[in-house]
Amino acid sequence: MKMVSEAQRQHAEAMLEHAMPVIQLVGVSREYASRSGVVRALDDASFTIGAGEWVAITGPSGSGKSTLVNLLGCLDTPTSGKLTIDGEEVHAMSGSELDRFRADKIGFVFQQFHLIPYLSALENVMLAQYFHSMTNADDARRALERVGLGARADHLPSELSGGEQQRVCIARALINDPPILLADEPTGNLDAANQKIVAGILRELHAAGSTIVMVTHDPEMAALAQRKIALSHGKVFCHPVQHVVVKLAQ
Amino acid sequence: MFLRLLWESFARQRRRKILAGLAILLGVTAVTAMLGLATTIGDRIHQELAVYGANIVVYPKADTLDVKVGEQSLKPATGNAYLHEKDLEKLRGIFWANNITGVSPELRASLLFARGLDQRTISVDTVGLWFQHPFGSGITGAPQLHPSWHLQGAWPTPHPQVKDGQYAVVLGSTVAKRLGAAIGDDILLGDSHVTFDSTSPTPAIAADHAKVVGILNTGAAEDNEALLTLADMQDLAELPDAVSRVEVSAKTRPEDAFARRDPDALSPKDRDVWYCRPYANSIAYQIREAIPGAAAEQVRQVEQSEGTILERISGLMWLISAAALLAAAVAVSAAMATAVLERRAEIGLMRSLGASKGRIASLFYAEAGLLAMIAGVGGYVLGSVIAAALTASIFGQAAGVALSTTMLHAFNPVLLPVVLALALIVAVAGSTASIRSALRMDPSAVLRTGA
Ligand SMILES: Nc1ncnc2c1ncn2[C@@H]1O[C@H](COP(=O)(O)OP(=O)(O)OP(=O)(O)O)[C@@H](O)[C@H]1O
Ligand SMILES: [Mg+2]
Repeated sequence: MKMVSEAQRQHAEAMLEHAMPVIQLVGVSREYASRSGVVRALDDASFTIGAGEWVAITGPSGSGKSTLVNLLGCLDTPTSGKLTIDGEEVHAMSGSELDRFRADKIGFVFQQFHLIPYLSALENVMLAQYFHSMTNADDARRALERVGLGARADHLPSELSGGEQQRVCIARALINDPPILLADEPTGNLDAANQKIVAGILRELHAAGSTIVMVTHDPEMAALAQRKIALSHGKVFCHPVQHVVVKLAQ
Repeated sequence: MFLRLLWESFARQRRRKILAGLAILLGVTAVTAMLGLATTIGDRIHQELAVYGANIVVYPKADTLDVKVGEQSLKPATGNAYLHEKDLEKLRGIFWANNITGVSPELRASLLFARGLDQRTISVDTVGLWFQHPFGSGITGAPQLHPSWHLQGAWPTPHPQVKDGQYAVVLGSTVAKRLGAAIGDDILLGDSHVTFDSTSPTPAIAADHAKVVGILNTGAAEDNEALLTLADMQDLAELPDAVSRVEVSAKTRPEDAFARRDPDALSPKDRDVWYCRPYANSIAYQIREAIPGAAAEQVRQVEQSEGTILERISGLMWLISAAALLAAAVAVSAAMATAVLERRAEIGLMRSLGASKGRIASLFYAEAGLLAMIAGVGGYVLGSVIAAALTASIFGQAAGVALSTTMLHAFNPVLLPVVLALALIVAVAGSTASIRSALRMDPSAVLRTGA
C-alpha cells in the first residue's frame, strides 16, 4: 500500500460526505505521557465513516489501532482535534455526558470478551440493559438467540467456549441497538471455525444496517469490510479510496 | 439486576471479604463491649460506691420544726427535732423519684443493755432502721444502702412477730462481746432514765425483753451500736412516727459547675433546666420541697468520686473504641484495595457499557455496606456477650448479679443501630480510597490489558 496523496484523501472525503458520516475525525491526536517521553499513539488522524459502513482498521502492533477504537468508543478523549459521532462533538463532552453517550451509541466487542464471570450469559447481556436503561430478560434472550446461543443463556462464561463467549459479548454489544459497533480484534482469540461464525454474525449485522468499526490483523476478516483504514506509527497511513468508491458504487 | 449483581459479587472474593468483615466485626465487638459496659457501668459503679453510704442525707430542720412528740422521756442524739416516717412516702412523688434506689430512715437513742438483771449494764447507741421495708414496687432499708455490712444471723423483725412479745435486736460485734451475748440470747434493755448500773440492778418493770437475732460486723461505728426495727425503736422511745435522719441513695448525674448553682438565684428557665437534671443537688432540693421540715444535702465525697471515676472510665472507653474502629478501617481499606484491584477489568467493562462512576461506586459501596451490616450484627452480638461477661467478672460478685441477668441487660437494643452505623462508617471510610482510585483508572487501559 502506498501513502495517499492529499488530493486523493480530499476526494475520498468528498465522496463519503454523501454517505451521511456517523463518525468524523478532524486532526485527532492522542498522546500518552510515559516515563521515556511523550508517545503519540494517534497522530493527526482525519477521516469519516459513513452510516452503515463496515470499516476494518489494520496495522502492525503498536500502531495505535486500540487507541483509535477507544477514542471512537468514548472510553478515551483526544489530546487534540475534533471528534464528532452521530452529529455530536464528543471531544467537548464532560465525563458523565460521555458515559451516557457511550451507553446510547456504542456497542463494544472485545478480544478478551470481558464477560462478568459470576453472571450467566443472559445476565451479562442484561447488564448492558441495566446500565443503559431497564433490564428485559426476553429481549436479552432474543439477542442471545440471534447469535445462536439461545440454549446457553443460563450458563456461566466459564462454562462456554471462547467462540460462545465472544457471541455473548456481541449479543451484549447489540442489546441496546447502538448505531455503532466497535470490535477490537473480535476474532483474535478464536479458532478458524469460531472466527467464521463471528464473521457470519457481523455480516448479518452489517446487512441489517449497523455501522461496524473492526480492528483486525487477519486479512480474511479485513476483506469482509468495505474499507480498510491502515495505521502505522499512529498515522492514518493508507486510505484505499478506490476500494471505497467501488464498494459504494455497487 | 442491582441486587443480583450485588449478591453475586458479594459472594465472590470470599477470603478478602472475610478478612475485611473480620476487621469490622472485631472493631464493632470492641465498641459494643465498651458501650455496653459504659451504659451499665454507671449503675454498677453507683451500686459499688453505695458501699460507702448514701449520697443524700435528710435530717430535720431544727429551727422550724414542730413535731408533736408524745412525752419527752428520751433525749435523742440529734436534738429534739424529728421527721415523720409517713412523710417518706412523699419521696416517691418527686420529679426524680425513679432515680431513688434506696431509702434508709433511722431513729437513734442511747439505751441500756444487760444480759440479765444481775449482769453488767452498758449504754449502747441504738438505732432503729428499716429492714426489708416495702417502698414503691421494691423493698429497701439499711442493708440495701450498706451492702458491705456483714451480718451473722438475721435482720430484726418488728416485735409482735417475735414470740413472747420480745423485741428483736441485732448487736454490733463489739457490743455483743462486751455483753457476752450470742445469737438467740435473751437480753434486757431499758431507756437511760431508768438508771440501772452494775451495782444496783434496775427494777424489772422498767426493762424490756429482747432477743439477739443477729450480730453485725462492719468494722465501723455500727460495731458499737445495736440495731432494732424503726417501729420498735419508735415504740421504745415513745416517739411514734419519728425519724431523726434519712439516708437516700439516688442515681445522679456527675456534679458540674451548673449543678452547684443556687437554683433560687437562677433565671426561671435555667432553674427549670437545673431542676430537671438528676444532680444530687437537684434531688436534694426536691426532697426539701417534698418533705416538710426537712433539710437535705448531698454527701459530697461519694458523689464526686462517682463522677470522676465515671469520667475517667468513659474517656478510656472512647479511646479504646476509637482505636478499634480505626484499626478496622485500616484493615478494611487494605482488603478492599486488593479486592478492587482484582476487579479492575470488571469496572472497565462496566464503564464501556456506559455505567457512570456513581453507579459503579454505589455498587461497591453497597457491597461494603452489606458486609458492614453482617459483620456489625455479628460484632454486636459478640460485643454484648463480652460486655456481659466483663460486667459479671468485674462487678458480678459484689453486686450479686447472676451472669444470665447481666446477659439479658447486655443486649441493649439502643446500641444496635449505633454500632451498625459505626460499622457502616468504618466500611465506607475504609473502601473509599480504593473505590475512588479504581474509578480514576483509565477504562481503556484496563480493558486493553485484559486482566
Ligand atoms: N495508556 C498508555 N500509556 C502509554 N502509552 C500507551 C498507552 N496505551 C497505548 N500506548 C502506546 O500507544 C501506542 C499504540 O498502542 P495501541 O494499543 O493503540 O496499539 P495497537 O495498534 O492496538 O497494538 P496491538 O495490535 O498490539 O493491539 C503503543 O506504542 C503503546 O505503547
Ligand atoms: Mg490493540
